[in-house]
Amino acid sequence: MSRNKLGVIGAALTLAVGVLSGCTGGEAVDVGDGGGSAGGAGGVLNAAIGGEPDQLDPHKTSAYYSFEVLENVYDTLVEPDADLKMVPALATKWTTSEDQLTWTFTLRDGAKFSDGSPLTSEDVVYSYERIIKQKLNTAYKFATVKSVTGPDPATVVVTLSAPTPNLLANLGGFKGVAIVEKTNVESGKVKTAPVGSGPFKVAGYTSGDSIKLVRNDAYWGDKPKLDGVTFTFVKDPTVALQNLRSGQVQWTDNLPPQQVKSLRDGDDPVVESAPSTDYWYVALNEARKPFDNPEVRRAIGYALDREAITKAAKFGLATVNQTAIPKSSAFFYDYAPYSHDPDKAKQMLDQAGVANLTLDLMVTSEYPETVTAAQVIAAQLKDVGITVKIRTLDFAQWLDEQAKGNFGGFMLGWLGNVDPDEFYYAQHHSGGTFNFHKYANPAVDKLLDQARTETDQGARKQAYEQAAKLIVDDASYLYLYNPDVVQGWSKKVSGYDVRSDRAIRFRSVALGK
Amino acid sequence: MSGGRESTGRRVLDALRRDPLAVGGTFVLLLLIVVGVAGPWLAPAGVNDVDVDAMLRPPSGAHLFGTDELGRDVLSRVLVAARVSLEVGVVSVGIALVAGVTLGLFAGYYRGWLDSVLMRCMDVLFAFPVLLLAVAIVAVLGPGLLTAMVAIGVVYTPIFARITRAGVLSVREQVFVRAAVSIGASDLRIMRRHVLPNIAAPLIVQTSLSLAFAILSEAALSFLGLGIQPPAPAWGRMLFDGRGFVTDAWWLGVFPGAAIFLTVLAFNLVGDALRDVLDPRQLTVSEARRSTP
Repeated sequence: MSRNKLGVIGAALTLAVGVLSGCTGGEAVDVGDGGGSAGGAGGVLNAAIGGEPDQLDPHKTSAYYSFEVLENVYDTLVEPDADLKMVPALATKWTTSEDQLTWTFTLRDGAKFSDGSPLTSEDVVYSYERIIKQKLNTAYKFATVKSVTGPDPATVVVTLSAPTPNLLANLGGFKGVAIVEKTNVESGKVKTAPVGSGPFKVAGYTSGDSIKLVRNDAYWGDKPKLDGVTFTFVKDPTVALQNLRSGQVQWTDNLPPQQVKSLRDGDDPVVESAPSTDYWYVALNEARKPFDNPEVRRAIGYALDREAITKAAKFGLATVNQTAIPKSSAFFYDYAPYSHDPDKAKQMLDQAGVANLTLDLMVTSEYPETVTAAQVIAAQLKDVGITVKIRTLDFAQWLDEQAKGNFGGFMLGWLGNVDPDEFYYAQHHSGGTFNFHKYANPAVDKLLDQARTETDQGARKQAYEQAAKLIVDDASYLYLYNPDVVQGWSKKVSGYDVRSDRAIRFRSVALGK
Repeated sequence: MSGGRESTGRRVLDALRRDPLAVGGTFVLLLLIVVGVAGPWLAPAGVNDVDVDAMLRPPSGAHLFGTDELGRDVLSRVLVAARVSLEVGVVSVGIALVAGVTLGLFAGYYRGWLDSVLMRCMDVLFAFPVLLLAVAIVAVLGPGLLTAMVAIGVVYTPIFARITRAGVLSVREQVFVRAAVSIGASDLRIMRRHVLPNIAAPLIVQTSLSLAFAILSEAALSFLGLGIQPPAPAWGRMLFDGRGFVTDAWWLGVFPGAAIFLTVLAFNLVGDALRDVLDPRQLTVSEARRSTP
């Protein structure tokens, strides 16, 4: 498995204007005691993250922990703003040719890597070609890119084989498509000491303990107020919370979910959440009988009580959804055909001639909510006469079994997708890279192919809605919920916002006394 | 030894009865066996009766031990998990006993290269920290109840092999063994009829002590997610799941923790008492204590 799908935080769609109520409604942190303006005093912010990055090469890592750090170290051509709209970053402007096949980007004047060398079109070409030629994690985002050239140091031209309405999201959705420095990559140092053009630079990496960032004075944007950020790896959420309370750390996203409700009522630490674009689901192996029968899959859809699953797995910090795309997205499709109805499920199973069904449900200890949810699912399916055998594996083994098709069903999630193409194509197209459950519906294939290159947004949205309806009706995935992004920080921290794409940005954060 | 020779069984019973700690330990063990056998019937609710609306309720009349993060009755899960612990204890120590005694018997009886090879292998196994070896074995075989049993069994085999071998080495020089050889008894018969009964005492002591450690090891493996798989209840796994709730739902950890504690303590107390009676080195002490007024 070259691509850890959960780790891939996806991209934001340029034209999808997310109505992210959680992000827009009074999320800015206000330090009530007047310490806000004292932010310029600098200081080092200690942030506790739930685990250690596997490596810091943005093109090769697939761990979310890596991107928590890299978000502050690297830049992309464009980047998602708070509403996940794509805005200028390294590119200040861009034009599109009449036929939608040539995009010309103008690079920012004076952009530099943190080692002082200038960032030019050559670096952009090198970065994208590296991803494409070496088939790295995000290569699929360049599927329609025919060539990338730099006619002059300040201009990048991307030529496409087909119109790609979500190109900006592909090129700037997250730091997995960051612009890297050639010498840094070729020396191999990028793994532990990456050189980027972002607001901070890596100053030290202690394996098993922490990563130290200091302010990058060569940064093109507003100078960060903090002197630095130290990311420490704290696996246990209870410990992370203790550290936050005792002042050892000033920020964490690793809070014990069962305590979030009571924490939100207090004012120190500040705990806030935003609806995320992640979703969690159950997939049934359609290469195995009787799950090849959509009636059986639908019956399971009726047997599940999503409210109960969500409550157990996320302590209410999630929204039940029967489709993939969350309410906050412009592509949200309000469709929920499955009510919790065990009698109906039983009846459907009877009609399908299925009795004494056993489901081998694969979950992973890497994501404990799958283990928790699986136990609730097992209890619910028992009510309709299905015996669930839960198989808990470590993630490497889990991915292996998934690739081999060695499962009856599994539960997992996708993180950070924004464009509907990312939500549906790889998962539900019969030739999709992540269609491990072998779903095949020619009508869905056609709609997804067509929507991929459709430049009219209305028609595009409609195509995705038709596809989503088929996918939900066929129960290709049994969608469960969209979790919230929950983060907490000390009252001394100002200028931080929870982002629905889970990007952790400390560039405008200040630390009061 | 004192004049009036009593049967071993009688001596054991006497000794246990005089030692209040051992009486307590025996009582707990009997209780455990009853629960282990009848757990599912004693349990007031089903172990997998999920009711998320009733999650994390503190102990009350309806749920004496409270409910867990999925609304399941903790008392029921603790009771039913007793069987798993006993099963793992008995089966894994059984494996260790059979394998260890067989290896020790052959090594001690035949000596020579067989002894060297077998006991060096045992030394290698013995050199590993107990849990590390168990984890390594589970990693190879895949997690689950059966593999946990096998892993713990393998881990405790060397102890039994060593004790057996040491006993055999002294017994095989005894006159009655030589007599048996001289009348043409087969090796297997001598081992079974003459050697084994005479080395049984330390093995019995070791068995009861190992049971305690085996149950503890199972709890540790389950805690690490390598033992019995959810949703089946196991004390170690319950501790693991409850550790995130220590501050707001103490009952998730305390009750399974107490069950592990009591069980291990009981086996240890009984094992100690048995050693007082059966271990030849301790025998003189306890005999002496007995004969003094």
